[in-house]
Amino acid sequence: MTTFVDVPDVAVDELRNALGDEGVLTGRSARFNRTRVPAPFPVHRWAEYVPDLVVLPRTADQVSEVVKLANHYRIPLVARAGGTGLNDGALPLKRGIVVDVKRMNQIKEIDLVDRTVTVGPGINMLKLNEELRKHGVMYPDDPASYPCSLVGGRIGTSGWSLIGGRYGHTRDLVISFQIVLPTGEIIEVGDGGGRKIRKSSTGFQLKHLFMGHQGTLGIVTEATLELVPRPEVEFAAFFHYPDYPTAWQSTGALATSGLATLAGVVLFDEWKVRYLRRDDEAYIPRPDRVKAVVATAMYGTRDEVEPAARRLLRIGRASGGTYLGDEISSGDWASRHDRYATPLHGRLRTGEVVPMSWHCEDASINFSQLPAVTEKWHAIAERYIDKTGILDDWGMFAYTNGAYKPWGDYLTEIDIGIWEQKLTDENWPDWVACKRALAQVALDHGGSITACHGATREGDAELVPVEMGGGFDVMMKIKATLDPNNIMNPGKYELDRAYGLDEKVFR
Amino acid sequence: MTAPPYDPMSDGGLQEEFVEKWRDAAYGCFSSGHKFCREVCPVMQVTRNEQHTPTAFHANIVAMSQGNLTVADVADDYVHCTQCGACELRCPNTLFTGDFYRNRTRTVQVVKAMRALAVESGIEQPNWKRWVEATLDRKNEPVIDVPVSQENVARWAEGLDLPIGGETILFVDCEAAFYRTSVSRSTAQLLKAAGVAFGLMREQWCCGGPAAEMGYLKASRELAEHNVADWRAVGANRIIVLDPHDYISFTEDYPDYFGASYDFEIVYITELIAELIREGKLQLTRPIERVVTYHDPCRLNKRKGIHRSPREILRAIPGITFKDVDHVTQWSYCSGAGAGLAIEKPEITAEISRRRVARARELEVDTLVSACVWSERPLSAAGSDVGLDVRDLMELVAESAGLDPRGVHGVAGPQQEAGQ
Repeated sequence: MTTFVDVPDVAVDELRNALGDEGVLTGRSARFNRTRVPAPFPVHRWAEYVPDLVVLPRTADQVSEVVKLANHYRIPLVARAGGTGLNDGALPLKRGIVVDVKRMNQIKEIDLVDRTVTVGPGINMLKLNEELRKHGVMYPDDPASYPCSLVGGRIGTSGWSLIGGRYGHTRDLVISFQIVLPTGEIIEVGDGGGRKIRKSSTGFQLKHLFMGHQGTLGIVTEATLELVPRPEVEFAAFFHYPDYPTAWQSTGALATSGLATLAGVVLFDEWKVRYLRRDDEAYIPRPDRVKAVVATAMYGTRDEVEPAARRLLRIGRASGGTYLGDEISSGDWASRHDRYATPLHGRLRTGEVVPMSWHCEDASINFSQLPAVTEKWHAIAERYIDKTGILDDWGMFAYTNGAYKPWGDYLTEIDIGIWEQKLTDENWPDWVACKRALAQVALDHGGSITACHGATREGDAELVPVEMGGGFDVMMKIKATLDPNNIMNPGKYELDRAYGLDEKVFR
Repeated sequence: MTAPPYDPMSDGGLQEEFVEKWRDAAYGCFSSGHKFCREVCPVMQVTRNEQHTPTAFHANIVAMSQGNLTVADVADDYVHCTQCGACELRCPNTLFTGDFYRNRTRTVQVVKAMRALAVESGIEQPNWKRWVEATLDRKNEPVIDVPVSQENVARWAEGLDLPIGGETILFVDCEAAFYRTSVSRSTAQLLKAAGVAFGLMREQWCCGGPAAEMGYLKASRELAEHNVADWRAVGANRIIVLDPHDYISFTEDYPDYFGASYDFEIVYITELIAELIREGKLQLTRPIERVVTYHDPCRLNKRKGIHRSPREILRAIPGITFKDVDHVTQWSYCSGAGAGLAIEKPEITAEISRRRVARARELEVDTLVSACVWSERPLSAAGSDVGLDVRDLMELVAESAGLDPRGVHGVAGPQQEAGQ
């Protein structure tokens, strides 16, 4: 059964010694299922990116053993938590060993005095909150993948939360963590020292360095997270508009309202409204006058939210919005995690329904630039829909992107459906070119390629040095210093250049 | 990394036919990629192994369609499933395109089909094989070290003076007929007390559901044909069922086997008992001084949407303190007993039950009530470890109705007299 390409048998024996037989998987199904991520990848070349084996550690020491062994034998390592990332971060480009941390899912400590919870990286936020609920607290990291993504992946990608305008995003909510460095040392990183310290001025800000690196700088083995009181009240208000410019202006007015309980503002453009109407359970009403939608949500105590909600409704109406009513507002907000990608909402130009996979471009764009980026992105999508015949424009969202303050810049998302079953070596480059064109627009408008998914995939990765400028040289120096043998998720972020290599992302 | 090429001639085209049938449905999951099913899956919650997830069950088929995997590579993955149906409910595809596009995600069917393909391809799980062989031999499941045979299939009813045949038949699941007879005795006496006319089969065989769940379709069909013939022979048109697994067999498998000619009304016992209480035909007068919570059996709650009637019944029992947990919250709960998991992977079943019982304990109850006799064995074992009693709903109702059903129930080990 073993068909290892790069991992010598002696290394496999040592891994079994370190993790036990049940912690080392070599079967074909185990390996194929650890390649797959939700982002469209060249599925027609799935077999080329299958790891040689999978390990399922339970402790930081075991992870450290694996890392040291990989260094000794020069075997690539890719950390995998939920495998729900939208940018191929957990895809083993160079094969090697996938370190799957799902078994490290314990809640180690709930500290209701200093308001922290300490967990393993394999725990899911929804499951964590099921336990925290008993104590009247919650961990408010709320991405679209809330029911399935895991804390380790949230740190690896530096995730974004739907309610981050109120509670902050992953980087703000993770107070400190334990990480196994690429050479096997286990260290604690936070703002400074102190596992439960939220603000420090000691030394470098290492927490930020070790977040969002997509597994290129280490593997997180424990994290200490923020606890907030469970809100007494959740209030959602959705408005509709006769045109996009009015909705955009209204988004700005709502986001700058100064209401502290406002957790987020989301702008749906006309394409997105059309896409959601393909949904047989759609909350968005059908009349033609509904051309754009803005969603808002507030969380907090009843004393705060109820008066603030009245003010929010006034602002929404005064800026041209029509309130969609309590049922649509609360219903749509409640289903916010579920409706992002639905394969059978894929349409060809002919109207034919085909199952499509989901690409989500997630640039960070300043408010002032949203209309221009929106126009350019749809034009790019149109061009490549015509060219490839396997793409579909599923519309755009713009979400408030700042932590604790819902204004300024926006996670700007265009969703592109891809009929993945029809991907070939011939049309894959067209898709990559489309992807790169979208990312380039973000840079042209002073934005960032990605707010939360990361920029490790082809079409993004080659623009990372452009976006980072001189910072990319620093990235390469850090990478080469911390990971002298380039074993940590090699091939990602163009960081192979730090070792004199110049390979394409996909071989 | 390429697999040895699959040769359709090697298995008479079985795998090719399977992939052709399921490929597009599997791609519906693969391309969605949500994985929302994963953390509600009772098996995945225990093993934390991505191969044991519903998404892997679909992704495997996509990989098979590419020639990257074969049934031999994946058969073991599909053993890790209780067919509880939580994944289907939690699937955004089901939620948002289930009705209009008729595209409900059917992971349970995928698991059953893959297990059947494995059996047909000669890849068998040793304990399932023995179980099904013994079932065919004795015509009932070899539920435990009790004398399972046709001679004993109605022994549970000794002294109850139940007729054979008639328009309404009480079908008594193998576990209830041989192991936890307090459930069948309670049920029969409740029906009698309420004036419901019913009889037993002349010769009751296993429903065939477990065999179908393990992939042994021919065996399942053989058992089903006997049962339907027996029903027809006694003029039955209505079947009362006291176990959710039988309810699935009679409402899903049998219609598949027999098509339009299958026209029996299948009634689940909790639905009927709730109605009898509501209509005043069944008087619950004896207080039950217990603090209980209810375990939603997966096949009732997640696959059949039956969650109201058991709660209605519990609330009608005087003296009882009922601490309920919402049936949607219970999508991620399970006993682990279903779909042969307890036979092939008993350690996983035991852990799933241990966790279910621990959740009940958090509510500070003294009793966990179920309405699925198969769930009650592993739950009872887990309960006995921590001092939590596990009872079948019918047992409590019979007690409250002042009946004294006797029969045996309880955990492995010395069997107890019910109601003692």
